[in-house]
Amino acid sequence: MKLSLSWIKDYVNLPEDTDLKQLAYDLTMDTVEVEDVEYMARRFDNMVVGIIEAIEPHPNADKLRVCKVDIGDGEIKDIVCGGINLEVGMRVAVSCPGAVVRWHGEGEPVVIKNSKLRGVASYGMICASDEIGLGDLFPANEEAEILDLSAFEVPAGTPISDALDLNDVILEIDNKSMTNRPDLWGHYGIAREIAALYNLPLKEITPFVPDVASDFNVDIEDTDRCPRYIGVSMTGVSVKPAPYQMQNRIWKVGMRPINALVDITNYVMLATGNPTHAFDATQISDHIVVRRAAENEKLLLLNDKELELCNDDLVITDAEGPVALAGVMGGAKDSILPTTEQVILEVANFESTGIRRTALRYDNRTEASSRYEKAIDPERCDQALALSMQYFKEIYPEVQVTGFCDKYEKKLDRAQIDVSLTWLEKRLGKHLTNDEIENKLGLLGFDVTIDGDNMHVVAPTWRSTGDISIKDDVMEEVARMYGYDNFEATPFTTSFEGAINQKDIDLVRNIKEYLAIRCGMQEVYTYPWMNDTFVNAVLQNTDGVLKLSTPPAPNLSYIRSSLLPNLCEAVVKNERYFDDFSIFEEAQVFYDRDYSSPYDATESLPSQKRKIAAAFATGTKKIDVLFREAKGVLEYMSRYTHMEEFTFKKVEKPVWADNVVWMNIFVGDDCIGEMGLLSKKVSMDCGIKNLSVILFEIDSTMLKPLISRTNKFEHLAEYPETDYDVSMLFDVNTTWADIYDAIMGPKKAAALLKDAAFVDEYRGKQIPAGKKSVTIRLTIGSEEKTLTSQEIEKVAGQVLSKLGKKVGGELRTQ
Amino acid sequence: MKEKINSIFEEAKAKISSAANESELQNVKTAFVGKQGSLSLLMKELPKVDVSLRPEMGKLLNQVKNQVTELIDTKRTELKLKASEVSADFDCSVPGLLPQAGGLHPITQMCYDLNDAFRSMGFEVFQEDDITSEMYAFDKLNFPDNHPARESMDTYWIEGHDSGSTNEKLCLRPHLTGGSVRYMQTHKPPYRFVYPGRVYRNETTDAHHERAFFQYEALIVDKDITFTSGKVLIQTILSKVFGREVPVRMRSGFFPFVEPGFEIDMECQVCGGKGCSVCKHVGWIEVMPGGSPHPNVLRAAGLDPDEYTGFYVNIGLDRLVMMRYGVDDVRLFHSADLRFLKQFR
Repeated sequence: MKLSLSWIKDYVNLPEDTDLKQLAYDLTMDTVEVEDVEYMARRFDNMVVGIIEAIEPHPNADKLRVCKVDIGDGEIKDIVCGGINLEVGMRVAVSCPGAVVRWHGEGEPVVIKNSKLRGVASYGMICASDEIGLGDLFPANEEAEILDLSAFEVPAGTPISDALDLNDVILEIDNKSMTNRPDLWGHYGIAREIAALYNLPLKEITPFVPDVASDFNVDIEDTDRCPRYIGVSMTGVSVKPAPYQMQNRIWKVGMRPINALVDITNYVMLATGNPTHAFDATQISDHIVVRRAAENEKLLLLNDKELELCNDDLVITDAEGPVALAGVMGGAKDSILPTTEQVILEVANFESTGIRRTALRYDNRTEASSRYEKAIDPERCDQALALSMQYFKEIYPEVQVTGFCDKYEKKLDRAQIDVSLTWLEKRLGKHLTNDEIENKLGLLGFDVTIDGDNMHVVAPTWRSTGDISIKDDVMEEVARMYGYDNFEATPFTTSFEGAINQKDIDLVRNIKEYLAIRCGMQEVYTYPWMNDTFVNAVLQNTDGVLKLSTPPAPNLSYIRSSLLPNLCEAVVKNERYFDDFSIFEEAQVFYDRDYSSPYDATESLPSQKRKIAAAFATGTKKIDVLFREAKGVLEYMSRYTHMEEFTFKKVEKPVWADNVVWMNIFVGDDCIGEMGLLSKKVSMDCGIKNLSVILFEIDSTMLKPLISRTNKFEHLAEYPETDYDVSMLFDVNTTWADIYDAIMGPKKAAALLKDAAFVDEYRGKQIPAGKKSVTIRLTIGSEEKTLTSQEIEKVAGQVLSKLGKKVGGELRTQ
Repeated sequence: MKEKINSIFEEAKAKISSAANESELQNVKTAFVGKQGSLSLLMKELPKVDVSLRPEMGKLLNQVKNQVTELIDTKRTELKLKASEVSADFDCSVPGLLPQAGGLHPITQMCYDLNDAFRSMGFEVFQEDDITSEMYAFDKLNFPDNHPARESMDTYWIEGHDSGSTNEKLCLRPHLTGGSVRYMQTHKPPYRFVYPGRVYRNETTDAHHERAFFQYEALIVDKDITFTSGKVLIQTILSKVFGREVPVRMRSGFFPFVEPGFEIDMECQVCGGKGCSVCKHVGWIEVMPGGSPHPNVLRAAGLDPDEYTGFYVNIGLDRLVMMRYGVDDVRLFHSADLRFLKQFR
C-alpha cells in the first residue's frame, strides 16, 4: 500500500523537521514494514514548465516543429517537437538535459541530452504526459498530444514538481506486514499509529450530523454479514472532474482519478480504509435491501462480468434485484453514469470472511474487498461518512441531502482482556513500571485499569475485530511500543539430561557423507514430482502412485514413488557435459497405500518412506568395471557408516533392469533395495544416448544402525602370511560366489588358508570356449610358525583340489 | 716432491670445488685418490725419495690424501643436499589431479553445519514426512478458517484427497511448523529441536522463487522463557553461516502461529549496513520470521500456554546458501546440474 506523507499530515501534526528515514525505521521496527520511501519530486528532476513563445516549421521534417520556449530566467530555447496540439502561449512540460523520460511512455528510462533532431539542435524535449509518468493523472486524448499545463498559472521555469504539487514523499508499506491490522489500511489509521508512537495529537474527524427527516430506508436481512449500512441520497451532483488536489492525491498513491463522484468514494476509502460506493439514484427502484443472493440469481458487474450468484453471496438489492455485490463491486446498471445527477452513497460494514469467499469465488478481488476481508470495525463508517459529506459539500455546493438512513444493528463490543503483571514481566524478561505500561497502551487507545497483579485492558474498537484478543496480544503491544531493540538477548538456560543420541539421523548423514566424500559421488536434489516420460520409461506402472491436483505442468503430476525416474532425468541432463559421473539423492517417496494415523486418529497419511538412490553413468568404462564400482559402493557402505551389512541375492528383477545385471539388496532377511544396469530399452526410452547406467535404490528406514562401532581388534599376525596367486579355468556359469564358497565356506579347503580374494577374470583367445580364467589370491599363514614353501604349496594344492572337486576348476596350463 | 704434492693438492681442491654433480666428483676421486690416481702414484714413487726426506714426504702425502678424501666427502654431502630426483626443468606449475570428485549438495552442507551448531547446544534433529493434512498444515497453527494466509501459501493438494474436512485433505507441506506440532505432541517438554526440511508452494518460479525449497526450523519450549531468548537462536545460526557475529534486529511481524511475531533482519553483508542495491538501501536484509509459539499452537500440541512458552525461528536455507556463495538463481538448487553442484566442496 502506498501512502502520501502530505495526506498523513492532514491528520497528525508531524513536526516539519521530522526525519523521514527515522519515521520509516520506527514504523518498520514497531508496526509495519516500510519497503520504500520515495521523494516523488525526484522523478521530475530537471523538468520545468516552459511557455511556448513561437512555433516555426522544421526545415527537414513535415511532422516536426521548432518551438521557441521560455524556460525561465528569460532563457529562450529551441526545442524540436512533434506534438499535434502545440500553440503559442501554451504552458508545457520541458524535460531539460539530465531529466529521465520514457519514449511514448514505454520501454527503458532514457536520460535527456542536448541533441540534434533531423539536423536541428534541440534543447531537451516537450513532453507528453505518459513520457514523464503522468499518463494516469493527465490522460491524453490522442497520440502525440503534448501535456497542456496552461491551467497551472505559474511562471516559466517553475519546476514541474512545484507546479503540479508533486513535492510529496510516498511511503510504500508491505501489505503482508499488515494483514492483521485492518485499522492501518488508510491514511488516517497510519496517522493514528504515528500519533501513538510519537505521542502527537491526532486530528479528530468531525462527525456528520444529518438534518433531514425522510422515509428513505434501508433493510438489512443478514445483520451478521452486514452489521451496519448507511445510505445517503443526494441531489445536485454531476459528473465532472474532481478538484486537482483530490486527483493528485488519488494518483500519488496508485489509483486513477475518474470523475468527482467516483473520486470522492475512492478518496474516502484511501483516507479511512472504509470502502464506500455511490449508486445512480435514478437506477434504484424502491429502497435498498441488503440480503443473501438467491441461488443462480444474476448480476452484471461494473467490469462487465456476468455472475451467477449463490446463497453465500451478500448483495445490495432494489425492488428489481441485485444492484451490487456487497463489499466487492457495484453493478453495471446502477453505478455512476455520465448523466448522473442524483446519487445514493453507501457507507457500510460487511463481515470479512463472507466478502473474502465471494471475491475468491468469482476471482474478482478489488480494492474494496481486499479491505473488507481484513475485518474493519463498524465504527469506522462514521469517519467515512463524515469525510464523504465534507467533500460532497465542497465539490457540489448545491448538493441536497434528500434521505438518510443509518442501520446499525450489530454493534461491535470492545475486546476486554485481563493480564497478570507477573506473567507480563516474565514473558518480557524486563520490569516495566505500571505507569510505563499504562502510558504505552493508553497512547494506542487502550483503556487500562490496574488492580493488584491484574491489569484489565479494553481495546479500542479499531483493534477489536480479532486483532487483539488474548493477553499475548497485549504483551506484544507493550513490547513493540517499548521497542524490540531495547530488549537485550537473554541466554536461555537448559538442563541437559544426556547426550543427544539419534542413530537413524546420524546413519543417513553418514551414508550421504560416505557417498559424497569417500565414493566421490555428487549429491543432487530433484523435485518430488516426476516427468511422465521417465515414469513410463522407468516405473512402467503407475498403480498406487499419488498425483497432484494442480501439478506444476500437465506432465509433472505424479508424485514420486521412487527416486529413480528423476535420477534418470538428471543423467540425461548431465550427459551433454559429462561422460563419467555418479550422483545420488536422499528423499522421501510416497504411495497411495498403507495409510496410517501416527499423530491424530482422524488423520490418515499415506505411505511415506525415505530412500537413497544413486546412478553411476559412464561412457568410458566397461560395464564390468562400472558394475564392480557400484557394487563396491554398496558393499563397503556398512563398514563406513556403522550399520548391519548388506547381502545380495537375485529374487525379483526390477522392471527397469537389464536381464542379467541386477541384484536385490538384503539386510538379514529383509529386502531393502535393488541395484542393476539400466536396460537398453529403458535407457533409450529415457533419452540416454551413449551412457551405461547402473542404479541402486535402498530404503533408508530399513537400515539397521549399529549401537556402537562393533568391529573387534585382531592381533597382528605373529608369523608372516603369504599371498599365493592361482589362475584356474572354470565353466563360464560358475560364479565367484560359488568359488569362494567352495574354499572359504563352512568346509574350508585348508586350515592354514586365511582368505581368498578375487583378483580378476579373463575370457579370450587362450581360453577354451565356455570357460573363463579366474585369478584367486590365497592368503596362507599359521599362528604358530613361519611356513615353509612346501607347507605353503601343500595348502595351495588342497585349495586347487577342492576347487576341482567342488566347482570343476582346472589349473591353467601354459 | 713437496712442490709436486702441494700443486696436486691445489689442483684437487679446485676440481673438487668445481664439481657440479656426483659423477664429476667421482671422476675427481678416481683421478687423485683412486688406485691410479695422481696421489696414489706419488705414493708409489716414495721409495725413490731421499731417505732423509721420506718420512716427511710420506706424512705429507698421507695428510693430503686424507684431506682430499675428506673434501670429496664434504662436497658429496653438499651436492646431495643440492641435488633433485628429477631434472631441473621439472614444471611445478602443472595443475594437480583432483582427488575423488564428489560432494554434498550445498543445502545439505548448510543444514549439517547448522545441525552441528545446534546439537552442541543440546538440540535434537527432527525430521518429518513431506505429505501432511490440512489440519496440521493450518488448523493446528492457529490459521482461522478461510484465512488469507491459507492460500498465501499456495498449496499442492494431492489428487483424490483435495476436498472434505481438513483432516481428510492432504498436501505437500507448505511449511515445517505443522511438523513441529507433531514433535511436541509426541515428546515431553521442555523442547529443544531443529527441523530441517523441504517445503512446497504452488507458485510461478523465477530466479528468486521456487516450488520446492528448504526451511530450517529451530524451536525451544520451556517454562519462563522470554521472547528475547530467541535472539540467541538467531545469532547461533548467523554466526555459524558467516563465521562471525552478524548484527540482527527483530521487528514487528505477523504470522498466525506466533504471538508476538517478528521479522528478523540481519545486517546486509554486501554493504556492511551502509545501504546498497542488495538491501534496497536500508542496510538490513530480512532473513527469517520468528516469535513465540501462539498459545493456540501450544494447546494444539497438548501444552498449557500459561505454563509453557518458547521461541521459534524458521529460516530459508536456500536464501542463506545464496547469500553465502552469491548464487543468483534459486532454481539451480533443484537443477541436478553437475556443473553447478560440483562447485561446492
